[in-house]
Amino acid sequence: MTDMIESLSGFGLGLRPPHFPALLDGIEGQWPGIDWFEVISENYIDVGGMPMRNLMRVRERYPMAMHGVSLSIGSTDPLDRDYLRGLKALADRLEPAVVSDHLCWTGAHGINLHDLLPLPLTEESLAHVADRVGQVQDALGRRIALENASTYVTYDSDSLTEWDFLSALTARADCDLLLDVNNIYVSAFNHGFDAQDYLAGIPGDRVRQIHLAGHENNGDHIVDTHDAPVVDPVWDLYSDTIRRLGPVPTMIERDAKIPPLEELVAELQRARRLSDNAVRGAAA
Amino acid sequence: MTAELADLQSMMQDRLLGGSDAIAGHLAQGGPFLKVYGNGYGARLHEVMADVFPGVHALIGDDGFARAVQDYTEAHPSRFRSIRWLGRDFPAWLADAPAWRGQPVVTEMAAYEWALSLAFDAPDRDPLPIEALASVAPEAWPGLTFDLHPALQAVRLSHDVAPFRRAAAEDQDPEAAPPKLEVPGVWAVWRDSETLIVRYRPLADDEAQGLEAVRGGGDFSALCEIAAETVPPEEVAARAAGFLKDWVDAGWITGLGGIPEAVLPSDR
Repeated sequence: MTDMIESLSGFGLGLRPPHFPALLDGIEGQWPGIDWFEVISENYIDVGGMPMRNLMRVRERYPMAMHGVSLSIGSTDPLDRDYLRGLKALADRLEPAVVSDHLCWTGAHGINLHDLLPLPLTEESLAHVADRVGQVQDALGRRIALENASTYVTYDSDSLTEWDFLSALTARADCDLLLDVNNIYVSAFNHGFDAQDYLAGIPGDRVRQIHLAGHENNGDHIVDTHDAPVVDPVWDLYSDTIRRLGPVPTMIERDAKIPPLEELVAELQRARRLSDNAVRGAAA
Repeated sequence: MTAELADLQSMMQDRLLGGSDAIAGHLAQGGPFLKVYGNGYGARLHEVMADVFPGVHALIGDDGFARAVQDYTEAHPSRFRSIRWLGRDFPAWLADAPAWRGQPVVTEMAAYEWALSLAFDAPDRDPLPIEALASVAPEAWPGLTFDLHPALQAVRLSHDVAPFRRAAAEDQDPEAAPPKLEVPGVWAVWRDSETLIVRYRPLADDEAQGLEAVRGGGDFSALCEIAAETVPPEEVAARAAGFLKDWVDAGWITGLGGIPEAVLPSDR
């Protein structure tokens, strides 16, 4: 694997088009409090015009991570080689510090459901995903990070916990992790496992990046909506995560009801504060 | 890959596409929150379609649009990695759907909106500099072919859909349905190469035919043949060359082909 062009550090945000004017025309250089941005890969593969011009202008000012939603690493369909070529071309252009997608499948028989669907957590799935991660990393010429998705169902055939699955996968496929702390909280609530067991079970040295986001609590289940601020219990879990792992590049995702940049930066400041406190607490 | 994994994925997908509930028998506790995936799927498709087709949405109303999107996505589930392509077949589907095929303003609006969407973010290409035409040897002109910018679209319109669409996209209630155009015809939709703003203009009939011919690989002599149906013989070359100059000026042409090696300028 090639060395990373530029590593991430500090605190970032998911890059969303409503923020382009403030980021590019409202200010010269970097916006205070934002160290890097993550882009949704599919939004810029084989794309030009204003979206690409804006993206490259942001790239001139910030380190970047690329985050995909359609790799479909767990699907039983063949890997989409055209998609991988597009992904690599974008990565060659952006030189991102991290290229990530999700531990999930997004469709079968050529159809894309545009959702992050859960895999049965079995030895068979593990072998299948590990083999495909290897193929993807060969095609991209670099390591990828896989994110734990929020899930709303589990399978009768599950024989592994998600953390054991991820531990085995990272070792077998030599890939990294993108840890979504909100997703741990959501899945723990929905399936009744202990989020601390999850944190204790994952290989901390593989975690390249952390996601935080808001969700919708429906009483008997939680949906990962990315349309609200991060809730207090998830902030607590984030502090626990940093105490265990040490500082990890962290960002907030907001995909609906997107507020002004100032609001997200204020929320990001909370991540910075909690992370600093957790690191100091762990060192004391 | 195992049969079991493939079967589970087929069953789950079938459920999300509105088919059988067989997957529930393989989920812990029968999958009490399985509906989250089903609800999310429909909502996501509707959101993307509403974003690309606000004019169609405003024309046929919330209920009509919801029905159209549901029927369309059942007939054309996404086969794309980027959900941005979901609406690719919507204009053609509307034109053929019993509920809408008698309403050309609806299908024209859909075609226009899809053209806007493509023009907005099609891949970048450098426009051909006008000097490149000047350097073509006279004997190479008849066989000269042209590469068109991927952002350039052509739409046949008989209604003035643009103002209605602009209002709908800005969330203003358009006051009246788009009126009929005095002269129906083909409109070009493209992206300005400097500002990257999407523009549109009507094309003369022979210009539209010429552009279609060029898109299909037709050469300069084919363009002249089309112009010859509109103007007297002595004006044909000037009319065809005029089209070309306009197209190059607008950034529609990105490259030349069909030039034999023997007549390539020596500095190329």
